[in-house]
Amino acid sequence: MKNLRLKSARAALDMNQQQLADAVGVSRQTINAIEKGDYNPTIKLCIAICKTLDKTLDELFWE
Amino acid sequence: MEHSLGYNLGMLVGVLAGALVGVGIIALLFKLKVMDLTFDERQERARGQAYKYGFWTLLTCLLLYGFSDMVLGRWCDVLAGAMLCVAAALIVFGSVCIVKDAYLSLKEKPRTVMTLLAVVSVLNLAIGAMNWKNGRVFRDGILTYSAANGICGAITLTILVVYVVNYLLDKQEAGE
Repeated sequence: MKNLRLKSARAALDMNQQQLADAVGVSRQTINAIEKGDYNPTIKLCIAICKTLDKTLDELFWE
Repeated sequence: MEHSLGYNLGMLVGVLAGALVGVGIIALLFKLKVMDLTFDERQERARGQAYKYGFWTLLTCLLLYGFSDMVLGRWCDVLAGAMLCVAAALIVFGSVCIVKDAYLSLKEKPRTVMTLLAVVSVLNLAIGAMNWKNGRVFRDGILTYSAANGICGAITLTILVVYVVNYLLDKQEAGE
């Protein structure tokens, strides 16, 4: 299932996938895979993404 | 053509010394942070799957090689046969990594890797062609270890082609 909340939170901060990837220390393709719902990230990566986008885990990853 | 024990031992020592120097250079590059093979969690997982596919390919090829030698008789020397099996496994490993976007580490640049693959392919294929021209690849109808360069060239060229195709598709997708 696509993670549209992550995509919109990233876009709201005017970040592209590469910028978010660099900020959390992963590849652009990994961010793309998470947004497309092709990859289920570990809690460690979820927290890093939430901190970068200033969101909570619930806001970005809880269904 | 049979070689003396001294010649074979010399070859073995030469190969081992070369491998040792190679490992030393690579270790130094890692220490100096020139080489940095850090992968993210998704890439590590994808590479694990790729290793698995490569491993099973290697086992299958070794069995097929052994079986073909038994049924058809000797068609290549042992080193060339082993190289062919390793080549198949490496191509599978590399291709799966590329398709799953896990071939390059986080610090590696696609253009650098493509250039490196192209240079290695051209050099090995050129040496392979020279060996072929000099009649060293086949001796008495048997594929010899002189085919090693040609095989290495074929591996890197295949990986380069898969990489370029995947790179272009990824670029197209990123632009959409």
